[in-house]
Amino acid sequence: MSETVQTKAVEVEEPGEATRDRDLEQLLVNEGDVAGDYLERLLDLLDYDGDIDLDVDAGRAIVSVDGGDDLEKLVGPRGQVLEALQELTRLAVQQSTGTRSRLMLDVAGWRAARRAELSEIGTNAAEKVLSAGSSVRLQPMTPFERKVVHDAVAKVTGVQSESEGEEPNRRVVVFKAS
Amino acid sequence: MSVLADSLEHLVRGIVEHPDEVRVHLITTRRGRTLEVHVHPDDLGKVIGRSGRTATALRTVMAGIGGRGLRVDVVDTDR
Repeated sequence: MSETVQTKAVEVEEPGEATRDRDLEQLLVNEGDVAGDYLERLLDLLDYDGDIDLDVDAGRAIVSVDGGDDLEKLVGPRGQVLEALQELTRLAVQQSTGTRSRLMLDVAGWRAARRAELSEIGTNAAEKVLSAGSSVRLQPMTPFERKVVHDAVAKVTGVQSESEGEEPNRRVVVFKAS
Repeated sequence: MSVLADSLEHLVRGIVEHPDEVRVHLITTRRGRTLEVHVHPDDLGKVIGRSGRTATALRTVMAGIGGRGLRVDVVDTDR
């Protein structure tokens, strides 16, 4: 899978821009609603405690599920169950709205916690490359994890990063900028 | 119906064109537990996904919920 690079809101200099923004906002709110229903029903069936919070940020719907210990099962090792559940939730949204969804799902604050940790891994790798000169290959990561690492590396001058290998063994390589 | 079958049925219903035709059965044999998924023939592609991606996601989620060794089979009926 290719990295999903955060696309900045495209500036369109045409009349009706405000209408389109409202339409996009409405679409994203709608995405959140569909996703919320899909996940809420799953939690009900499983009898897991969980509250679902919906938000829209940076042009995508954000769905967060927080609650009891059972939710760990929906995160799984290295967040693999969470990634799979996000994939299914996106498909459910697409089935309902007819539009591809980029919604982000978080469960039990896993992404939020992992993000801080991964940023540090990225920054450390970048500093190691700068001081040692040789490149650093990190552990295999999910697309979400690699994105966070790439973002952290990009903040350090003089280094670059790329992903290499095939899923699920795709990993980030950090090297000196040419 | 088991919680596992109900949950998988719900997950599949959300992503297909013909939700009313989704059926999931839990089959237990000496070799383990298998969830058999039946969908409308036109929905097979949706449930399997490109390079089996969607079926893999369904398996991963069900393994998270039901534990390792829980199999998910998408059954290709008629035709």
